[in-house]
Amino acid sequence: MDVPSKSNKAWQDIVTGKKTFQLKFLAAKILLGRLTRTVKEDPSPNTISNSVDQIYALFSSNVNMPSVQEDMKTIFG
Amino acid sequence: MRQTISSVSDVKTMIEAGRKLLLAGEEDVLHQLPKGDWIAGTIPYFISKDHGGMVSRDLLCATDITDLVTSIEIVAYDQNSLARVYTEGPKHGFSFIVIPAMSKTHLSFALNAPNYKDFGIRPLIGWIAGVHLSDLGKKTPKVINGITGDVLEEGALVLQAQLPEGKVAEIGIVNLFEQGAGDVLTFTTDDFSATDVMVNGEKRNFAAYIIKNKLDTKLPLVADYYGALVNISFQDVDEVEGLVKFYAPVFSGIRYKHAKPVVDYVKEFNDRLCKECSIESARVAFSCNCILNYLYSELEGKKTDPFTGPITFGEIAYQLLNQTLVYLEIMDV
Repeated sequence: MDVPSKSNKAWQDIVTGKKTFQLKFLAAKILLGRLTRTVKEDPSPNTISNSVDQIYALFSSNVNMPSVQEDMKTIFG
Repeated sequence: MRQTISSVSDVKTMIEAGRKLLLAGEEDVLHQLPKGDWIAGTIPYFISKDHGGMVSRDLLCATDITDLVTSIEIVAYDQNSLARVYTEGPKHGFSFIVIPAMSKTHLSFALNAPNYKDFGIRPLIGWIAGVHLSDLGKKTPKVINGITGDVLEEGALVLQAQLPEGKVAEIGIVNLFEQGAGDVLTFTTDDFSATDVMVNGEKRNFAAYIIKNKLDTKLPLVADYYGALVNISFQDVDEVEGLVKFYAPVFSGIRYKHAKPVVDYVKEFNDRLCKECSIESARVAFSCNCILNYLYSELEGKKTDPFTGPITFGEIAYQLLNQTLVYLEIMDV
């Protein structure tokens, strides 16, 4: 499975905490622990966009990991 | 798992045969080794396959990654350049880091790694080098680059390993501690120590709070990072100064809770592995566990199969962790 583009709404839903998922990829969990807090404190479009950039880059760079593949199914179906 | 507890002579033989090794042991023992494809940190505590938890000033813990990787390079960083550790990681592989405990680089990494550029973009695993507990204050932890022979007590060494096609590296943790049912604790600054704590939003002196509530400081603070439980271990509670020190920094805005007790580490460890049922020993390339788990859970002579390896002054799985087992799996894709 390829990583859906940054414009996919699910990325925004994750960093804003609108939707939460039980993920497997350790780096994503640690990063999201920080990003969701940052966005909660400052929900400006710029902060949301920066956060989406970071989580998207993390998934894109590790797309071959089994945990990332599992998480993408969990998030995007 | 390719981790063994070996004599100096056996490790010399492996190095001379061109094996690529991640080593742990006493400084005097490591100095006896010839140059070669190895990286090391000082520590005399290990979990071995045969004897479980053990301490040895003569033996070395050797993790042989020769057959897993296509090439390695060892890079030295200082507290500033380490900010590039994720960006410079191998595109198809993993980075293995060792940092001397209490060095400026250790403290800087602990505080700043979550905000380094490209955090997590490449797998980063490793540990904090230490000393025998009876040598605290007498000897300093060190890391050694086997290729150059350089010995550092300030800085970090990173072994960048390339993997063959069809293999990927995954990093996992086993943390037996969970958040208890007590107060929500937050802090206003990122620091290795705290005078004040916000208890359910109310400012209190943290040392006084710990004493009044009789918190067992062998149990860490636990934060929930989107489902990943991250510990902060207590180092010292100074009632007179009103200061609490930690082995890793607390971060502002993160909601911590004091951990539930772990009554029998080995039993709960085995229960956890059975429950998760996803760790195949053949895939585990490296693991290490925390000196505090070794001490508080009395792991000497006890096994934590399938995990062996060094017992460390801090564990690194992307960022610094406490009282946590970290492991590296090499998987087929």
